[in-house]
Amino acid sequence: MILLSLARADLLALVKNPRRLLLSFLLPIVLLIVTNGSKATHHLGGALYVMGLAIAYGLVSVSILGYALGVARDRENGVFQRLRVTPAPTWTIMASRLGMQGLANLVMALIVVIVASQMHHISLSATDYLLVLAISVLGGAVFVAIGQALVGLVKSADTVNAAGRILLIALIILGLFGQSGSLGGFWESVSRWSPVGIVMTLFGGVLKLSAWNSQDWLSIVACVGYIVVFAAIGIRWFRWEAQ
Amino acid sequence: MSSWSPSTEGVETLIASDGLGTGALIVVVVVLLAVRLGYGVSQSRKRRERTRAEPAVAVTKPTETGALPVAARRVTPQVTPGERVDDPILAIEHLTVAYGPKIAVDDLDLEIARGEIFGLLGPNGAGKTSTLSAIEGLLTPREGSVLLDGIDVRRHPVEARARMGVQLQSTSFQTELNVRQIVRLYAGLYGVTMTDSQIADDLEQIGLGGEAAKPFKQLSGGQQQRLSLFVAVIHEPDLLLLDEPTAGLDPQSRRQLWGRIERIRADGGSILLTTHSMEEAQAVCDRVAIIDHGTILASDTPKNLIDKYREDPNVRAVAHGEVTLEDVFIGLTGSEVRE
Repeated sequence: MILLSLARADLLALVKNPRRLLLSFLLPIVLLIVTNGSKATHHLGGALYVMGLAIAYGLVSVSILGYALGVARDRENGVFQRLRVTPAPTWTIMASRLGMQGLANLVMALIVVIVASQMHHISLSATDYLLVLAISVLGGAVFVAIGQALVGLVKSADTVNAAGRILLIALIILGLFGQSGSLGGFWESVSRWSPVGIVMTLFGGVLKLSAWNSQDWLSIVACVGYIVVFAAIGIRWFRWEAQ
Repeated sequence: MSSWSPSTEGVETLIASDGLGTGALIVVVVVLLAVRLGYGVSQSRKRRERTRAEPAVAVTKPTETGALPVAARRVTPQVTPGERVDDPILAIEHLTVAYGPKIAVDDLDLEIARGEIFGLLGPNGAGKTSTLSAIEGLLTPREGSVLLDGIDVRRHPVEARARMGVQLQSTSFQTELNVRQIVRLYAGLYGVTMTDSQIADDLEQIGLGGEAAKPFKQLSGGQQQRLSLFVAVIHEPDLLLLDEPTAGLDPQSRRQLWGRIERIRADGGSILLTTHSMEEAQAVCDRVAIIDHGTILASDTPKNLIDKYREDPNVRAVAHGEVTLEDVFIGLTGSEVRE
């Protein structure tokens, strides 16, 4: 009952935050719109790549600016302290947050896939949908773990906000330009094995299963590695109060 | 199904094409716009400060009664001034709380009787909030034990918290939730089942019937205080902990709050509170303890404390006419202003 009550409240808080909802869908949908029907889609590597890109950037946006900032803000406002003096075990407070964020990631990914398939005339089977959603959950976990690390290392909500913005821009620029090689071979490698890069690789892999190779497997390992490392940092240094 | 092709060449080519020029520019602009929007951290903080500063609403009939929906559980206070309490609801022994090298609470012993209103008085930084935090389980004491009706708070925090109600110094709920949703959340956390009509009735009783759909941040300071107290006692706790409950309230709201606290006690609840208002402590508390530098300097009923320290030179030096609890307080803790 405790976890259910927390989850219901967290879901309500998520849904009733229009700015957060807007940001969750703004970036991926705009990305789909600007590449619709243009040569960009083809040159970017095809409609599936654009769809993967849109979901990955949506996950980055919603996890870093959404999750991390929401946690930092509630911590600073004393919301967590109030919850901690109830019989709710602390793990339920965070599990509820993470669970609802995972659900939000899933819904975002589903909507992007539906919009992308309509807009870019992509025909996806039920298996494709399931695989894309599975990668969205995995990728979302990577970015939420990064958000958790951010909110673990930085106490002030204002600083989390500023650092989150910088991180978001860095990840997007790295993902957008890094793999092109335009930033040099070193950055190409960095980009390929960056959180955005491995999630993109996995989206590509599941949407063309016949070409699944060792790099895709390594990307899954890298995903798990990122989750473990960033989550460990986020849990180890997380403080329930801002002061 | 469209085919997937490696991205590297595609992006590389695209950079040189017309497509990326416009597309990437728009994406970057959207990212910057999204980042610029942020989530209004500063704005939400300003709004919160503004609502706290607002005066409380006028007294309404239900709140004049001070009635809180707490079941009647009559318990006669068993207070023996100056002596150990029989069968205490809260027993603290040798409590020591430290923040690194700084000792905030130093070997503190305290017992609170059932049905008692106990005031913990002290200047800023005296260790009041640290003591409450240790009882609430928000921090781990360096030494000592806290027993709530025999339950070790450190060993069984969930069980202990289920039996205590807490109002923190600055309470905040999730800003997106409205009053009804906040009540439903905390009822759920304490395992209390409430129907919509029960919630509506209870909110009506505390004068928040018309505010059920309002977010917490839109309530006035007095309304927020009422909701916080209601949530703190939603499960009829054995012990209610109030950290400076009247801070920032206007006289009307303070009067209402004390009325409700009296009723909670009348219904069998025990209350441990901190306050800077000596007048209120003198009027409302059965016993008080004056704490400074983490140590209890004196503990008794307000009347006994005044009688005991009436002739103390430090107290006489600060008293203007009849000695009050405030004179005793300043006489024991000193006149210097604390940060």
